[in-house]
Amino acid sequence: MIVKLSGGTVYDPTNGVNGKRRDIYIKDGRIINKPDIQAKIGKTYDLRGKVIMSGAIDIHTHIGGGKVNLARMMLPEDHRDDTVKRTSITRAGCGHAVPSTLTAGYRYAEMGYTSCFEPAMLPANARQTHMEMADTPIVDKGAYALLGNDDFFLQMLAAKKDQAAINDYVAWIIQSSQALGIKVVNPGGINAFKFNQRKLDLDDKNPFYNVSPREILISLSRAVHELGIPHPLHVHGCNLGVPGNKHSTLDTIEGVEGLPMHLTHIQFHSYGNEGDRKFSSGAAEIAESVNKHKNISIDVGQILFGQTVTASGDTMHQYEGHWHAHPKKWLLMDIECDAGCGVVPFRYEDKNFVNALQWAIGLELFLQVDDPWRIFLTTDHPNGAPFTTYPHLIRLLMDRGFRNDMLSTINKAAASSSILASLDREYSLYEIAIMTRAAPARSLGLKDRGHLGSGAAADITVYTEHRNKERMFAKPDYVFKDGELVAEKGKVVHVTSGGTHTLRPDYNTGIEKSLVKYFERYVNIKLGNFKLADDEITDLGKGKLIIQPCVR
Amino acid sequence: MKGMIFTLSFKPRFALDLSPLIPERMQSMTQAEIKRIQLDYGKGKLAVEKAFKIKSAKNNNIEFRRSTDKLIRIGRNMSKGTIIIKGDVGDYVGQSMKGGTIIVNGNAGSLMGCAMSEGYIQVNGNVGDYLGGALAGEIEGMSDGFICIYGNAGNCIGDRMRRGMIVIEGSAGNYCGSRMHAGTIIVLDRAGEHVGFSMRRGTIVLAKRPRHIAATFRSCGNLKMQFLRLLFKQIANMGKQYDIFKKIDPEVHRYAGDLAYKGKGEILILQPILESIKPGTKSA
Repeated sequence: MIVKLSGGTVYDPTNGVNGKRRDIYIKDGRIINKPDIQAKIGKTYDLRGKVIMSGAIDIHTHIGGGKVNLARMMLPEDHRDDTVKRTSITRAGCGHAVPSTLTAGYRYAEMGYTSCFEPAMLPANARQTHMEMADTPIVDKGAYALLGNDDFFLQMLAAKKDQAAINDYVAWIIQSSQALGIKVVNPGGINAFKFNQRKLDLDDKNPFYNVSPREILISLSRAVHELGIPHPLHVHGCNLGVPGNKHSTLDTIEGVEGLPMHLTHIQFHSYGNEGDRKFSSGAAEIAESVNKHKNISIDVGQILFGQTVTASGDTMHQYEGHWHAHPKKWLLMDIECDAGCGVVPFRYEDKNFVNALQWAIGLELFLQVDDPWRIFLTTDHPNGAPFTTYPHLIRLLMDRGFRNDMLSTINKAAASSSILASLDREYSLYEIAIMTRAAPARSLGLKDRGHLGSGAAADITVYTEHRNKERMFAKPDYVFKDGELVAEKGKVVHVTSGGTHTLRPDYNTGIEKSLVKYFERYVNIKLGNFKLADDEITDLGKGKLIIQPCVR
Repeated sequence: MKGMIFTLSFKPRFALDLSPLIPERMQSMTQAEIKRIQLDYGKGKLAVEKAFKIKSAKNNNIEFRRSTDKLIRIGRNMSKGTIIIKGDVGDYVGQSMKGGTIIVNGNAGSLMGCAMSEGYIQVNGNVGDYLGGALAGEIEGMSDGFICIYGNAGNCIGDRMRRGMIVIEGSAGNYCGSRMHAGTIIVLDRAGEHVGFSMRRGTIVLAKRPRHIAATFRSCGNLKMQFLRLLFKQIANMGKQYDIFKKIDPEVHRYAGDLAYKGKGEILILQPILESIKPGTKSA
C-alpha cells in the first residue's frame, strides 16, 4: 500500500529542502519517489499548512544500562509521583527523570523522536543494556561501548602495543557488545580514581599504568578512525563540572591532532574560574575553538531547572558531586573494573548562581557555534534535564523574547555575568531540523535516517506550525515509524518495536588469543559468555539488528 | 466531639483507599461535593456516597464508624484536625501525616504512620508490621511525631525511623527498631528477636530483657540515665493514660550498638521493678 502525505511544508536539510511544499510517498516502510499515475494510493493525509520533518534522533540519552536501572531503584519518589496508567495499547509505567523503559519509548515517540542512542554501555554490562533497549518500544536504538578505563586497554597502552593491536581490541569490543560507536569517559580518570586520585588533567599520568588521558584519546580516536567506524570517538572529557575546565577542553580539541572527535555534553566542560565566585562562562572560547576545528562535533548537555538525577560513568566527578545530592543519597559502583558508574540525584535551581550560570552557558554555546551540522541538541538525559524538556529547549533557541524573559527570572548575578542577553541569534526551523535530524544521522553514519529523500526509512514527524515552539514540538500531529503511524496528536496509537543499530568492523580475530588468557586470569565470566550473540537481541521477536556499514 | 461521621454501609471485598477524606480537604467542600469524591476501590472507583452514610457537622473532626481492615490510607498527608476510627482498620493509616491526631479504637494494619513527619497517633488495640517505617524504597521512615499503641505491635517497628517517638504498652515483634537512624522506641512488654538490628543511632527502651540480644551490641553496665527521668516525666504529663510512666525508675542496663553500624545507638533495659507492672494495662 502506498501512503501519501500531501501538501506539507518539508524541512529536509540532507537534501537541501528548506520549507518547500512537497508530497511524500511511503511504501513498505520506505520513502519512495512519486509513483506512476496508475499506482493506487492506499491512504492520503492532507497536510496542507503542516510542517514535515524526518523523525528526530537523540544522539546522547541514557535510556538503558546498569546506571539507569540503579537510578530507578534509588529514586522511588521519582516513580511514585509520576505514574502513567495503562491504556488498551500501551502498558503502565512511571518515572519523571528516569522513566521505565516502556514509558521512555512512548514519550519519545509522542515527541516525534524515532531513534535514541545510549551513550554509555559498559562492555561487561552490554547484555543488560541491550535487554533494556529491547524493552524500549517504537524507537530505534543503539549504544556506544565504553573504553579507555579498562585494564586490558590500559595495559596495552602501557606496554606500547602497536596501533593495529589496539584497533583489533576496539573492533572486538564493538562486535562483542553490539555497539555502534566508542565512547571514552574521563579518559583514564575513572581508573585513576580507583588508585585514590581525585583529579586527572590531560597530561597527568595515571599512577599505575603511567598513561596520560591525551595518549588514550589519541589512540582511541585513531582506532575509531582507522576501523572506519562512522561516528567519531564520543568523548566525555576530563574535569567534568570543575570550574576552570575550559582549558583542558580546549587542550583536548587541539590535542587530538586533527582526527575526528565528538565532545559530548560540552556545557559541563566549558567553565572558567574567573569572577568573585571563581565560576564563569567559558562558552565563548569553546565555541570559537569548535568553529575553527572542523574535525570536532559537539552536543551541548543543556541543563534545565528542576529535579533530575545525574547518572554517569565518571566515578571521579560523581564522587565530587555527591556533596550536592538532592535528595541526599548517591551511589558509586564498579563492574569488572571496566569503567565506573555514579548516580547522584540533583535539583537545578534557577536562583542558584552556579545552576543559573550553567543554564546560560549551555545556551551561549548553542548560539555561538555557527555550524548546526556540528552541534546537536541534547540535555544529556537525565543529567541536565529529562528528555521531555526538549520542546522547551527548542523554544529557548528559537524565540529570543522568551529566552530573555527566562533570563530575567534567574539568579541576578548569574544573568549579569552572562553574555546571553546580547546574543540575538534565533534558530530557524531548518537549523532545528539539522541539529535534531540530519546532523546526528550523518554523524552516526545512518544513511537512510534523518532525511526524507527516496529510499530513506519512513520515520516522519508532522507538526502544526505555532508561534509557541514549545507547543509545536511537544505534540506532533503525526509520527510515522518505518511507515507505520505510531503517534497522533501527541498520543501513541500503535506500538511497534524498533531495531538496534550496530556495526561489523573488520579485524584480526587473533586478538582473542590474548583475550582468552586475560579473561581466564582476571574476569569473572568466560570470554564466550561475555560476547553478546545476535540471537540475544532478535530472539524474543522484540528487536531486529540493523547493521551499518563501516566507511573505509 | 461533633464532626463528620462516615458510617461504612457495605462490606468491602477489596481495599478501599480513603486518602482523599482528610479534614483540611473537606473543610472547603459542600456535602454534595464530598459525596461525589471518587475513591480507589480495588481496580476501580467508588463514590463516597456509595460506601458511607454521612452525617455532617462543620469542623475539623472526622469519624469513621463500622470500619474494617479493608479501609486503607486513612489520614494520608493530613496536617490538622482529628480522625477517629471505630473498628479495625487496614494498612497505611497516617501515611506521610504532617500534623493532627488519629485515634483508632480497634486493631490497625501494617505501615501505620509510615513517613509521618508530625502528629499524634493512638491505637487502642494491636498493630501490624513496620509501624512508623518508611515508604517502599525510601531511606528514612517516620521523621517526627508520637505514636502510642496500647496493644501489641508486629515486626520491624520503627524501621528506618529518623526522629519522633513510639510507645508500645504491649509486646513488640522481631527486629524492633531495625535500621533506625534516630528517635526513641519504648516497649513496656517483651520484644522479640534482633532488637535494634543494624540501628545507627537512636534509643530503644525495653521494660523486659529480651531473650536474645545480637552479638553486635556491647554491654555498658548499669547506669542511671537522668534524661530518662525527664523523658518519662514529660510523657506522663501528656495525659492520664500515661500515668504508668510515673512509676518507672531511670536505672537501666545499657547496650551500645549496632556496632556493625558505628554503634551510636543504644538499647536500654529497665530495672526489673517494672516486671510487676502488668503489660498492656490500659489506664485510659
